[in-house]
Amino acid sequence: MPLIDPSVVDLSRLQFALTALYHFLFVPLTLGMTFLLAAMETVYVITGKQIYKDMTQFWGKLFAINFAIGVATGLTMEFEFGTNWSMYSHFVGDVFGTPLAIEGLMAFFMESTFIGLMFFGWDRLSKPGHLAVTYLTALGSNLSALWILIANGFMQNPQGASFNPDTMRMEFNSFLKLVFSQDAQAKFVHTSIAGFVTGALFVMGISAFYILRKQHREFAARSFRMAALFGVISSLAVVTLGDALGRLDYLVQPTKIAAIEGLWQDSAAGGSAASAPWLLFALPDQATQSNRAEIGIPYVLGPLVAHSFNTNIPGLITLEKEAGPRIEKGITALTALKAYGQDHDASALSTFKANEKDMGYGFLAQRYAPDQDLNLITPANQSEVIAKAEKDTIPNVFVTFWSFRIMMFLGFYFVALFAFAAYFSLKNQLERNRWLLKLSMWSIPLPILACEFGWITAEAGRQPWSVFGYLPTFQAASSHGLGYMVFSLIGFALLYSAFIAAELYLMFKFARLGPQPHHKEAPEAAATAPMFAAPAE
Amino acid sequence: MGKLFTFVGLGMVLVLALVLAVVAGDYGPWYFAWMVGTVMIVLIAGCGAVLFDSQHEKGKGEI
Repeated sequence: MPLIDPSVVDLSRLQFALTALYHFLFVPLTLGMTFLLAAMETVYVITGKQIYKDMTQFWGKLFAINFAIGVATGLTMEFEFGTNWSMYSHFVGDVFGTPLAIEGLMAFFMESTFIGLMFFGWDRLSKPGHLAVTYLTALGSNLSALWILIANGFMQNPQGASFNPDTMRMEFNSFLKLVFSQDAQAKFVHTSIAGFVTGALFVMGISAFYILRKQHREFAARSFRMAALFGVISSLAVVTLGDALGRLDYLVQPTKIAAIEGLWQDSAAGGSAASAPWLLFALPDQATQSNRAEIGIPYVLGPLVAHSFNTNIPGLITLEKEAGPRIEKGITALTALKAYGQDHDASALSTFKANEKDMGYGFLAQRYAPDQDLNLITPANQSEVIAKAEKDTIPNVFVTFWSFRIMMFLGFYFVALFAFAAYFSLKNQLERNRWLLKLSMWSIPLPILACEFGWITAEAGRQPWSVFGYLPTFQAASSHGLGYMVFSLIGFALLYSAFIAAELYLMFKFARLGPQPHHKEAPEAAATAPMFAAPAE
Repeated sequence: MGKLFTFVGLGMVLVLALVLAVVAGDYGPWYFAWMVGTVMIVLIAGCGAVLFDSQHEKGKGEI
């Protein structure tokens, strides 16, 4: 089978990256805001104070704008798997389609149903009933993320499926392995909690804006307090969970971790693995396989990546060389598979089975084989083909290195910001610290930026694979024409930019208006009957 | 008798929760951590609001 035009593959990747990154501008806020709304409504139900109902309704309105536009941007992505990634869909559709279907039928329907009840059920449901609906909306939105990340976890570390040489596709053999894959679990908690940080900083930043302008003071101070406490724990959790996810990647995707750390040589190459530096700054150069302008902190790399001072962490050059024998076995596997496909020869099947786990590495060699036919690889040209394919096993180091660092630096910044915010809020000294209020306000977009760079780290670091170790990205795309790809890419960019403009316009408009309908400053203590009120004497 | 049924019912919920926690801890430790952590984050945020009300009932106007 001829290979797909590399320009079409690149455009397909660009289009998916663009739509995913646009969609991910909305997702983290949804994940975090729902649980923050649930926290506000919980206080309303317990204390019976009207101001907490106003808070839930006002922040809920901003959440609704984000949710509606976020849904619109997400719908197209599932279709893209069929239109632009048809080889991928054929190869792993049996596995990949299941979590996506569950996401649509269970989580998204659940979220969409309860979100309607949440907004229109205030006068129709009891207080506990409405609170339950708010929690179910929060759970539904996070379950939606869960199933998507289970599907993504399969791409990062394929579990619960095996390749069937008769159908030429990956087929399910364990739903539980897919759902409880370590990668899926770690990715879900890290992503969901990153959403909590986004939601918290959104509420905190807008509340800071009100406090700075001396508007809706009591409303804003309570919102700020809740968001600061919500955020301080979430930001600590997202850093520690990120470290755990990195440790997991070190075990299953060593090339990604080496690229994240800009590690070309083994960590013990300088004489001792213990003293290997963690790079604060570097300019990785893929062509020369080295870094320029390195600034590192000694004795940090080992404990950070391997949680050990003595473990040697393999560098990219070593990993590249280690891929050589796997590529050779992969070539054997694919030529045997082709022979089996022609006449169902038992010995060919046996040869394929013996080399099956390296099958994906054979695909990497295909683009360098004469006429892109693995059968034309001979002992004379094999080493040259393998040497070229080895280079492809390494992801783009510059992109992976820097996207990780931007995400990580922002993560630590959030811990500090929320810590100061929680401290000064608990001491009732927010108005004395205007710098903190201004910083909170201007930091609103930063968690979204951190989420975007986190996503780039995960996906760029997985390359050259669409399904790690099984299917290279260049084999996964559809064979479209260039014109179709350029046209649809421009169309998506324009449409999604319009969505962003609409979101920003509506968010600014309603945030500036503030909580209008019910709340008045003075009678904030006025309360409706609390759920757990003491019985009348 | 009604109270007895309530206690028995709550006791069964508790046992079920413990069994689920053990199973989730074995097979999905990250999922379990997320459930426990999310509940904790929500409760701490709620406590912060209640503390705010308590601080301001004492008449201190500064925020």
